[in-house]
Amino acid sequence: MADSDGEYPGSDDDIALGMNGAGPSGKAKDKSLASRPKGRAQAKWEAAASSNWELQEGADGSIEGLLGGLEEAGKRKRLLKDTTPLQRGIIRHTLLILDLSIAMTEKDLRPTRYLLTINYTIMFIREFFEQNPISQLGILGMRDGVAVRVSDMSGNPNDHINAVKTLRGQDPKGNPSLQNALEMARGSLYHTPSHGTREVVIVLGALLSSDPGDIHDTIKSCIKDRIRVSIIGLAAQMHICAEICRKTNSGDDNSYNVAVDEVDFQEILMSITTPPVVRATDTEAQKRNQAALLMMGFPSRIVEKAATLCACHGNLTRGGYLCSRCKAKVCNLPATCPTCDLTLILSTHLARSYHHLFPLRNWVEVPWTRARQKRSTQCFGCLAAFPSVPPADRESTGGAPGGRTRRAEGASESSRYECETCENHFCIDCDVFCHEAVHNCPGCQSSAHLPGAEGAEANGMDGEAMQA
Amino acid sequence: MNVVDATDRTEKQDEAEAPSLLTIILDTNPHAWNLLADTLPLSKAVANLLVFINAHLAINHANRVAVLASHSERAEWLYPTPAHSQENGAAKGSHQDGEDVDMGEEGSSAGQGGPVQSPDDANKYRPFAHVEHAILTNLRRLMSTTTPESLSSTPATMIAGALTLALSYISKQSQSQPAANMTSQFNYSDPTSVAGGNELNPSDSSKHHAALGLSSRILILSVSGDLANQYIPIMNAIFACQRLDIPLDILKLAGDTVFLQQAADASGGIYMALDDAQARAGLLQYLMFAYLPDQGAREHLIVPGEGEGVDFRAACFCHRRIVDIGYVCSICLSIFCEPLADGTCLTCGSHLKLSGYGQRPAVVPKKKKKKKRALEAGGMETPGSEGGTPAPA
Repeated sequence: MADSDGEYPGSDDDIALGMNGAGPSGKAKDKSLASRPKGRAQAKWEAAASSNWELQEGADGSIEGLLGGLEEAGKRKRLLKDTTPLQRGIIRHTLLILDLSIAMTEKDLRPTRYLLTINYTIMFIREFFEQNPISQLGILGMRDGVAVRVSDMSGNPNDHINAVKTLRGQDPKGNPSLQNALEMARGSLYHTPSHGTREVVIVLGALLSSDPGDIHDTIKSCIKDRIRVSIIGLAAQMHICAEICRKTNSGDDNSYNVAVDEVDFQEILMSITTPPVVRATDTEAQKRNQAALLMMGFPSRIVEKAATLCACHGNLTRGGYLCSRCKAKVCNLPATCPTCDLTLILSTHLARSYHHLFPLRNWVEVPWTRARQKRSTQCFGCLAAFPSVPPADRESTGGAPGGRTRRAEGASESSRYECETCENHFCIDCDVFCHEAVHNCPGCQSSAHLPGAEGAEANGMDGEAMQA
Repeated sequence: MNVVDATDRTEKQDEAEAPSLLTIILDTNPHAWNLLADTLPLSKAVANLLVFINAHLAINHANRVAVLASHSERAEWLYPTPAHSQENGAAKGSHQDGEDVDMGEEGSSAGQGGPVQSPDDANKYRPFAHVEHAILTNLRRLMSTTTPESLSSTPATMIAGALTLALSYISKQSQSQPAANMTSQFNYSDPTSVAGGNELNPSDSSKHHAALGLSSRILILSVSGDLANQYIPIMNAIFACQRLDIPLDILKLAGDTVFLQQAADASGGIYMALDDAQARAGLLQYLMFAYLPDQGAREHLIVPGEGEGVDFRAACFCHRRIVDIGYVCSICLSIFCEPLADGTCLTCGSHLKLSGYGQRPAVVPKKKKKKKRALEAGGMETPGSEGGTPAPA
C-alpha cells in the first residue's frame, strides 16, 4: 500500500488509546500528540540486555580482585546519590492504590502478582511510617471497574496492615479503572492541609483501564489539586500511565516505572518511602497559602498508680501522655489533643526525618598516593585492616589501566573511602552502613577539630544550612 | 571416629548460647568527673567497670567486649586498641614505607586485642589481664594527651561520635560472624537478599537472626549533661540502634540528659540514674544486677526502669533549650522555642507564617469558630490568621 507508511504511526497511537479505553479518541489523540516527549529514553530492560560483561583478567590471570571490586562498586552505586540538601515534603499525605483486578492473578511474579503485591504493601507501610512518621497514608483498591476503599487516611501503620491482610482472603476480579481510582483519591486528599504533600501511588498490573468518562479531565483536576501521581506497572509500559505521571509531576516522567522482576518491584516501591523533593511550583503554591510554623507539644509519658480515663477514647488506661498545654491524657502519639487541639508528637518522630534534610556527604575514593600520604592502616570506624600500601616503585606499574589493581568502576583502588570533612579513611562496609543506617560520620562526630571544615560545621546541626 | 565426634560437637555448639558483644561507652569528661571526685572518683569507677567486663567475659567464652571513651573533644577507642594511637604514642614521624606495611599487620591483630602487650601474670586469667591492661594503658594515654587548652574550650563530651564508632564496629563484627545475619541487618541496603520476595517483614526476621548470630548491646556510662548540641547525630544513632535491634543501656551517674533516656526507651534498653552518693557507692552492684544479663536473659527477667515515665521533651534549635511546647517549621521540621521574630526559619530560611493558634493564650471559643470557618473555606486554613503574622521584611 502506498500510504501504509503514513498510517503506521497513527495506528500505533490507536493502540495506545485503545488500552486506556478512555473518551472520544480524536480529542484524546490531539492531546497525547501535543504532550508527547521529544525523544524516547532507553527502557530499563533494554539497558539490562545491552550491558556487556567485560571481565578483564588481571595480569596474573586471576579475576578475584576484579570481582571483589564489582561487589564493592555495586554496594557503592546504591549509596552515591545526590547529597545536596533539598527541600523535601516531610509532611506527606499519600494514597496507595492497589490493582485488585483479574490481571493480578498472573503468576509472572512469584507466587502471584496479587500475593506479592500484598506482601510488599505490608513492607511498604512499615517502611513508610519509619521514614515519614508524621505523615498520613490511605489505601484504595481498583476492582470490578470501581474504586474500593481498603483503609482510611490515618497515621497508624497497624490499621493499614490489618486492612491489607484481610485482602489475602479475597480474590482479584474485574477490570481496574484508573479514572475512578484517581477521582476517589482526589476526594480523600481534598481536605488535607496545604503545608503537606498530596501523593497518589498506583500499583497497576493490568494493561487496560475501563473508565466511565474522560480521564484527561481527571488528570487536569489532579494537577489543579497539586496531586502527584506515581505509577508502578507490573506488566508493560502504557501510554496513559506515562501521561498521568508526566502531567501531574510537572513534566518529570521518572515517577512511572515498570518493574522487571520481584527485586525491581520492591526497590521501586521502597524508593517511594523517601520524602519527595519539593519543586519550585509547589513552593509557589505553598507561598500562596502558607501555614508554615506549627505549634506542637512534646508530651512526656507518665505511668499512674490507678487507671484513669483517656481523653481521646474514654478508655481506662494506666499510663499515657499528658498534653503539654492542657494536661489532658491521650493514650497514643502522634495525636491531636481532644481538649485544646494542640498537635502532640514525640520529638523522636520529628528527628527521624532529619537525615533526609541533612544528608551525610558522599565519601570519595582514595588513590594509593593519598593512602600513603595519610598512612591509614585500618578503618576509622570498625578498626578492620586495610590492604597495605604497595611500595612507591611498584605502584606506577600497578596503577596502569588493565593492571592488577584496576577495579570496577566506582570502587576505590585502595579499598579506602575518605570523608572529606574529617579526612578519615573508612572501609566499604562502614561506608554503606554510615550512609544507609546511621547517617552520621564517625570521624566528624568524634573530633571537635575537623581539618576539612572551618569550625562552623563542627556541630552537625547548624553546619549544613538547607537551601530553601 | 574422630570425624563423627567432631561433627557431633559442632552441632552441639550451635545450640549453645549465642555470643554477645558488649560495647561500653565511658564518658570521660574531666569536668564532670571532677564534680564527682569526692563520691566516686574515676579510678574507682573504672575498677568497678573492669570487674563488670570480666564478669561479662566469664559468662560465655565467646563473649566479646569493646570499650570507647567519649572524651571532652574527641571519642577514642580504649579496647580494642586502634593501630594509629600506638603510632602516635611511639616516636612520631620518621616512618619508612616498609614500616607502614608492618603497621598494617599489627592493625589486623588489633581486632583481637591490640598490639599493647600485657604483662604475663600467672595468677590472672589471660583474657582478663589482656583487656584490663589495654583499657588502663589507653585511658592513661588519653588523659596524658589532654591539654588544659582543650579542656577549657568545651565542657561537653562526644557521645554522638562514640555511639557512631560503636555502631560501625558492631555492624562489622556481626557481619563477620559466621552465623551470617547479613540478610537481617543489611536488607535495607541489599535488595537481592530478599530476592525470593516472600520475606514478609524485615523486623521479625531480624529478631530471628539476632538470636542465631552475635547479639550486641551498648552501655553508656554517662556523667555529663547538656548534649543538646549533638541532638541530630545522637538521634540518628538511636534510630540506627532501633533498626539493628541493639539495646542502648544507660547508667547515668550525674548530669541531666533527656535524650539518653529517650534513647534507652526507643531501643529497648535499661535506663537508670544514680543520683545520690549512696547509690553511686553501689555502682558495681547496679552494673552486675541490672546490666549484665543480655537480651536473651532479659526476656525472662523483670528489668529495672519498666513502668516509669519517660521524658520526651525536645531541644529547640535556636537556644538549645529543652521545651515541651515548641514551634515547628513545616518545611524542615526545626523546633523553635518561641515564635520567630521576623518569620524566617533559622535553618532553611523559608518564610513562615504563624497559624492562628500560635497566639497565646489560646482561647477555646475562638478555636471553634475558626474550625467552622476552615470547613467552609474547604480546607484553607490560613485566611483567619493573617492579622497576627509579623510582617516579613
